[in-house]
Amino acid sequence: MIARILFLTALVAIGYLGFVRRNRLPVNIMLLFVVLGLAAVAVIFPEEMDPIAQYMGVTAGVDMIVYLVQVGLLFLSLHFYTKFVDHQRQIAVLVREMAILKAELDQSRRGTTSSPPVARDRVEDKVPAAL
Amino acid sequence: MDHRQITWVVIAAYNEAAMIGHVVSSVLVDGWKVAVVDDGSPDDTAANAAAAGAVVLRHVVNLGQGAALQTGIEFALGRGAERIVTFDADGQHRVEDLPAMVAALDDADVALGSRHLGGTEGAGSGRRLFLRAATAVSNKMSGVRLTDAHCGFRAFRATIAPMLRMRQERMAHASELLGLIGKSGARVVEVPVTIRYTDYSKRKGQSPLQAIRIMFDHAFRR
Repeated sequence: MIARILFLTALVAIGYLGFVRRNRLPVNIMLLFVVLGLAAVAVIFPEEMDPIAQYMGVTAGVDMIVYLVQVGLLFLSLHFYTKFVDHQRQIAVLVREMAILKAELDQSRRGTTSSPPVARDRVEDKVPAAL
Repeated sequence: MDHRQITWVVIAAYNEAAMIGHVVSSVLVDGWKVAVVDDGSPDDTAANAAAAGAVVLRHVVNLGQGAALQTGIEFALGRGAERIVTFDADGQHRVEDLPAMVAALDDADVALGSRHLGGTEGAGSGRRLFLRAATAVSNKMSGVRLTDAHCGFRAFRATIAPMLRMRQERMAHASELLGLIGKSGARVVEVPVTIRYTDYSKRKGQSPLQAIRIMFDHAFRR
């Protein structure tokens, strides 16, 4: 009973931190609510998980939940790795843009510009997405 | 025709305080425009490059050679460059090879230096074997047939630069660039160059073990 209370408290806390405290709601909020709801059902009625698990070819409901958690964690790892790479690229764009602007500024201040800077479209804007 | 007025030489540098001044001076003396991208070096790379007379662009954090070159290329394009050359900061490349590299663009969009058509000074047999193996793998992956796939001495026309925008920030950019060249349909020519390996440049260079990381980046972090 204590374990159930702890699990349910954890689910409520995740829901609160994930949705109420966020500045904006995630796109897949409904999916996350469904997952949280199913997890709550699994905690409250663990014996009801057994038939579902057996139907899916898993011996016990607890095993099925462990497998689902493993898949979920792998998915989360991939999700955050993708986010991490995206953020790295965004930082790179910012750092490179800063370097160019600073160099242009330094050149202007020194008056050593041999030719004025031409209008500079961001190169990435011209590149097809496939590249 | 003298191409010096329409060409920018882009040098990406990280912790090259010891050599960058000499490299910049040798290129400037020959009349070329030089942009050095200091990739967040904690040493005096930026100050020494500026003292030698280069235009210096400074990354506030280290991003890797690919990103540094891309920054220099965009700066050069903004300055109206018609031809852009990438040149190593560790003294491996010879200024004497610059005119041939740039002139090769009269009949091509991209000129790639080849130490196998030219020569090497101070390279061990192990390094040469590794480079040939890397070239064979790269030719398979990029679809561009070259004798030397990983020479950092490159020249290209400004018109082709937007097609060659590298997304790989670190060393995998070299393989990525060849793939982009292959896709772009650019006219490619190899130019014989001589690469000088010194104790300094060998210390700064890539170890064969890093090739594994480069291949991972190239394969999975597109």
